Amino acid sequence: MTRYCMVIDQRRCIGCHSCSVACRVWNDVPEDLIYNPVLSTGVEGEWPNVHRNWLPTLCMHCEKPACVPQCPTGASQQDADGTVWIEYDKCMACKVCVNACPYGMRDQSKLQPRLHQFIRKCTFCRDKRKMDPDAQPYCVATCHQKARIFGDLDDPNSEVSKLINSVETVRLLEDLNTGPQIYYIPALGGTR
Amino acid sequence: MSKINKSKEEFGHINRHYWEWPIASYLFLGGCGGGAMFLASILAFFVFPGGAQSALVQGALAWPIFLSIVFLALGCVLLVGELGQPLVFIRAFVKSTSVIAWGARLLTVAMIFAVIWFASFIPWDWFLPVANFLVPFREFCLALAGIAGIGVVLYTGIMLSSLKAHSFWATPALPILFTISALSTACALIALSFGWWPMDPVFYTVNESNANDFFTAWRVYGNAEAGLLYTAYHVMNEALHLLHTLDVILVACEVVVLLVMVLSFLGAGNKCANAVAHKWVHGGKWAFGFWFGMIFAGLLLPEAMYVFWSETAASTVVAPVLVLCGGLLLRFMIVYSDERAPLPGEKIYYGRLVSYKADFLHKWKYGENLF
Amino acid sequence: MAEIDIHAPGVEMVKSLCYFCHANCGVLAYVKDGDVIKIEGDPNYTNQGGLCCRGTSALKHVNHPARVNHVLKRAGEKGEGKWIQMDYDEAIKEVADRLNQIKAESGAEAVASAGGTTRTDDWARRRWLNQFGTPNGFHNALLCWIPTFMAETCVSGWSPFETDLGGAKSLILWGMNPGASTLPGMHGYTDLQLAGLKIIVVDPRYSETASKADLWLPLRPGSDAALALAMLNAIMYGGMCDYDYIDAWCSGYDELMEHIAPYTPEWASEITWLEPDLIRQAAAMYATNRPGCIQWGCTWDQIGRASTTGSHAIALLRAVTGNIEVPGGDGMPGPALNFLTDEEMEANETLPEEQKAKQISRFKLTSWPGYTLISDTAKRQWGKTLPTEWFCEAHGPSVFKAIITGDPYQVRALICNATNPVNSYGDAKMVLEALKKVEFLVTVDYWITPTALLSDYVFPAAGALERPIIVTHYGATDSLMGGRRAIQPKYDRHDDYMFWKKLGLACGQDPEMWPWENIEEAYWDIIEPLGLPIESYDEFVDNVRMYYPPLHQKKFEGHGGFWTPSGKIELNSTIMQELGFPGMPTYIGTIENPIDTPELAEEYPFVLTTGGGFMPYHHSEHFNMPGIRFIYPQPFFSIHPDTAEKLGIAYGDWCWIETRRGRIKMRANVEPEVDPRVIFCPRGWWFPERDGSADLNNPFGCLESNVNTLTSVDAEHCDPMGGSWANRGLLCKVYKCTDIDHEFTADDAQWSIPGSVSEPGVTVMPSDQPLAREPIPFEKPQPTKDVPEGYYWVWQDDGIYNKESHFKLDDSGWLIDPKNKAYIDAYTGWRYDAAAECLVDDATGQQYTMDREPITYVAGVRTYPGQAAPYEVPSTLTWDTELGYARLGDNMYIYDPNSGWMIDPETNVYHDANYGYAYDPTAQNLIDMATGKRYSMSYEPIDENPTAEQGSAAEPSAEAQVEAAEAAEEE
Repeated sequence: MTRYCMVIDQRRCIGCHSCSVACRVWNDVPEDLIYNPVLSTGVEGEWPNVHRNWLPTLCMHCEKPACVPQCPTGASQQDADGTVWIEYDKCMACKVCVNACPYGMRDQSKLQPRLHQFIRKCTFCRDKRKMDPDAQPYCVATCHQKARIFGDLDDPNSEVSKLINSVETVRLLEDLNTGPQIYYIPALGGTR
Repeated sequence: MSKINKSKEEFGHINRHYWEWPIASYLFLGGCGGGAMFLASILAFFVFPGGAQSALVQGALAWPIFLSIVFLALGCVLLVGELGQPLVFIRAFVKSTSVIAWGARLLTVAMIFAVIWFASFIPWDWFLPVANFLVPFREFCLALAGIAGIGVVLYTGIMLSSLKAHSFWATPALPILFTISALSTACALIALSFGWWPMDPVFYTVNESNANDFFTAWRVYGNAEAGLLYTAYHVMNEALHLLHTLDVILVACEVVVLLVMVLSFLGAGNKCANAVAHKWVHGGKWAFGFWFGMIFAGLLLPEAMYVFWSETAASTVVAPVLVLCGGLLLRFMIVYSDERAPLPGEKIYYGRLVSYKADFLHKWKYGENLF
Repeated sequence: MAEIDIHAPGVEMVKSLCYFCHANCGVLAYVKDGDVIKIEGDPNYTNQGGLCCRGTSALKHVNHPARVNHVLKRAGEKGEGKWIQMDYDEAIKEVADRLNQIKAESGAEAVASAGGTTRTDDWARRRWLNQFGTPNGFHNALLCWIPTFMAETCVSGWSPFETDLGGAKSLILWGMNPGASTLPGMHGYTDLQLAGLKIIVVDPRYSETASKADLWLPLRPGSDAALALAMLNAIMYGGMCDYDYIDAWCSGYDELMEHIAPYTPEWASEITWLEPDLIRQAAAMYATNRPGCIQWGCTWDQIGRASTTGSHAIALLRAVTGNIEVPGGDGMPGPALNFLTDEEMEANETLPEEQKAKQISRFKLTSWPGYTLISDTAKRQWGKTLPTEWFCEAHGPSVFKAIITGDPYQVRALICNATNPVNSYGDAKMVLEALKKVEFLVTVDYWITPTALLSDYVFPAAGALERPIIVTHYGATDSLMGGRRAIQPKYDRHDDYMFWKKLGLACGQDPEMWPWENIEEAYWDIIEPLGLPIESYDEFVDNVRMYYPPLHQKKFEGHGGFWTPSGKIELNSTIMQELGFPGMPTYIGTIENPIDTPELAEEYPFVLTTGGGFMPYHHSEHFNMPGIRFIYPQPFFSIHPDTAEKLGIAYGDWCWIETRRGRIKMRANVEPEVDPRVIFCPRGWWFPERDGSADLNNPFGCLESNVNTLTSVDAEHCDPMGGSWANRGLLCKVYKCTDIDHEFTADDAQWSIPGSVSEPGVTVMPSDQPLAREPIPFEKPQPTKDVPEGYYWVWQDDGIYNKESHFKLDDSGWLIDPKNKAYIDAYTGWRYDAAAECLVDDATGQQYTMDREPITYVAGVRTYPGQAAPYEVPSTLTWDTELGYARLGDNMYIYDPNSGWMIDPETNVYHDANYGYAYDPTAQNLIDMATGKRYSMSYEPIDENPTAEQGSAAEPSAEAQVEAAEAAEEE
């Protein structure tokens, strides 16, 4: 079996937003949406003893997604490999999934024609991977810092498996029990 | 650009409120309409069981049911109008086991059977064959509409509370609150419109002035009919009284549940729900809406009117209207309290973004060449 | 948009380069039917497949609706925004006529040209300027590396800018934020840091890079020179120098020791706000973790008056710690010896000396006086030199002032190529005034920038995917990277070479000087000397792409010294002295600071730092790319929470930031990213979504949030050596916009010379303004020996050099070519070839005898006409004195003494020396061409069966022989 996941190395991320832009360029994301915001609380601490980290995000492609069971039309679905995606033709944009997602990773573009404002989100570049099974999602391929690592969690030899098993990782809002599949290697300051 | 010093909240937040006034209104209309159907069936089958009495009550309920159909229909229009891709709406009936899908089905069932039931009361001459044909199905239709109605009532609350991303919604108190509020608004709706519909010339003449006067009735209609009229008057009076009493109880319960929910969030709970509760209790506009709008004007005041000014316009008209307004306000405040626990830095991030209306998003259209 | 299939039939992959910043990442462009359908980062390039926001948006850039696609000629008033589209060549003709007219009336120097970042074919522009005869080309070079490069070259003979991080133990990233500017670099730093490299970051802001540092020095903005001097002091007086290295390779140590004495860390502490111990710690970390690197950062050239002083001191830091040109240290590539440098493409010889003297610049280090000294030294030492483009330019702000004031003379025409000076040069409102005032303004750009809006003609420029790109780091390095154009320029867009070529030809320049049909041909000329087995530029990109000469550390050992006039690392620079500057870094304060100008500090209590690159923009670009702009839609300045609280400023508030020269507004980013005394403003802001013509005092909002509105370019505020002006360390005040005071008006940025809003207009002529430091008189020593005609004497090394070639005249009477240490005949310039014992004219390949007689060859065999046979002639042959070789009977075959065979010069077929039979390499036997009879190698006749098969087989055999011979000749 294949279970896709992503490891995000916060030690390496420098907050350049390349992933966000690559994603929107190649996935044709409407200009008012971002599938994978690079969040940051900014510089924190007492000057000059300060620190700063970036939190690149995207759809968590949860094991037990909060969004999919809420979908009244079956447009939101999850592949066997874990990819959560929306079949646009089937989405009536009731926005219940948007409200269901604890990570805020679904959104609706107001720049689209009024009757085609379906809900959009990251799909781990499902279309790209369908065309080329070895392809990496655009955000991963474009990352200069190699801070995003994508792969198969069920393959013990994949880089993600090795990292998750060897380095301490954390996940966001784990207590909601959605089983997010984005693993963060936290930065403690500098590249440590 | 020339506007200065906007606060962080005013900037950005691309579509952070996904459900807006149509949804809030829909939740109110659905709850009220569904609740009214449910209460109507309870009145007809359990409170005033038996042929004539039930028929009488059902007749008096025609106008309330008509209004609840209008409420549900209006709610549906708002709901569908709010959809981003409305043409796909039909899929909701066939493709899913989600709460919303069940809601949609129940809503449809309730409306269809309520309409059939209502059709049997239409007194227009040309329609009489149809109406008469439908009369035998009245009980069956009302029962189904009532069951589906309570389903709609429950679903509105359960749907919101199942969205655990929003901690202010994700509480069992919310469906209870919504159910109580829906039933109380339904009570108010029925009480306001009970017996207004002219189904039968006999009932048409029943009103306070002539019904009290048995002898007048006797003179006009003869003995047997006068008895029926007399009974009708008392049944209806009893029903109205019952509805007011029920509303007194429901409103009291609602006050308790609402306070318990908000104040418990204020005391404990997670950060996000806590912040919302804080806003409700202490925060300016919101606190005014909560304390004055909901608690006082929407609940305590009508309660007082029911109790202390019974049998006056205050309890028969003003109190139910206040209850309806309070219910609507509750839906609005709940729906707009859709705060989600932000990820670290999320607020700053979205605070920096501009709205989709920003000039630079509209200035250039790919495919054109300006120079 | 459906997913694009790059493996679909008809899709071609082209190796291209990104062109949106200096990092020039590799891009793979997928082309179908002449259009790019997709791009991705090249995984086999420096960027390892990565592409930033800008690179990844290349297709959005190519197809952007606001790109200029045709020549636009102004139709209405200047700035009205009314245009007529024109035919490209017709427009070129009109522009050329106008420029020629101005040249005829006011001299060529009345035409100036501003350039953008190194993302144009700068040599092509300089080639045009030189032939046109104007010395007034300029860029923002003075804010970006050039003064540093010149100072470093004065010290060690070239800029040691190629860090060998793989072997380094420490790295100082000084005034540099690769985390927001050069992402491929940042990737490398992060990898190396995880592997143990110590990284010191010097930055007043807690930047992306600082957040990953091992040691971070949050100095006062603009005090970099003081910090460098103090670190130098700490190292020298802390006994942490590399003394072996200094003994062997440096001069002037004692003088420097004495000179640096007052610049103690305690002295610097007040200026830099850093504890003396912290300065000592940083100095020790760098000096004791050898080898180490110091990466150049833009800040060095942007701190105003002390810019060159600072980079000079940093150059000495490297020198005294022995980190120059050593493994793990800062390597000096030197000019490209294996391919043509940009300088060789510039046709500098066509610019007359009297025109050079008219260059508008009072800053000698970066204009013709300094360039000449440095360049001549480079020619003597390296054999090649720096380009004049970038390294020898007019002083941009002075040119703008000349447009306004006519001082020193009226500049009447300006060609802006890939630049929007209002946003990128200091004192933006003065620049805006100059652009409005200049008589004839031509712009070559992608967009209608504020500058383009004011232009008479706007020419469309070809962008990244539409043109091939060679990366040679301003023409200052010996490596080269290349990318192909993915598609031909769309619409009427032209690459820079074509623009300048067409303009040159239309101006009447010699077509011989513009020999290349297109830019690929020119690039092929550049790389052809590499001698690679390829035949075109595109082939180079497809098969080679990156050319690096063999690893070349410690070149100074082979060279016998450094590439300075004295051959040593000059800790007391003689070139600097000759130019009237101190030979050792001598501190000079920033223009505004609490120590020197306390009254100012009272009114403007905060230190302003500007100009740092920030994601996702580059300079003033990409504000019109919606996908990029959305990430960072409005300008935010950084302010410390304590300061903000004191001033009543909350996050997101619009605020005014004001200096003596004007005020701008930005929104407050309240976070401890900067010191409580510091304000950080991002640069470059303009608002292309607005109607530019609506307010010509602020077209496209190019002044209202542009930090250059706040900067000063007064002569006395500029670095007296390099001419840089200050983007860092200015004094400012900050206050909230209020309901009645939030609209930017013309009064907020009134232009003035000198820069001060209190007195608008010209109050002091630019030439009358003093420089920050008067020149120090220097008397050059007189020659100690006779200097022959055509030669000159260099006082530093007491050597005599040829005026034309700059080759050193050896005591033996030969000239020595520094490129390969070859001996050169002083009379003819021919190289001595020791192996062949002859002279070679490398230009033609012609060999000469030591008596300078031409050596002739026939069929690859050397001949000796008019001489006796120099070798033993076989008895079957006769020596032909007239032709100079041995012959067999009457035929024209040439005897090759090396192989013992005769060669037919017409066919190159080998014949035996006894009978003249031809050799058939296929059958490995001999054949008598007259009769067709075959013989074995020992002349035994071979039986010939008169069958048709064998008869016919003999014919192709002879042909095969000819073919084989031709093949042999080719080899």
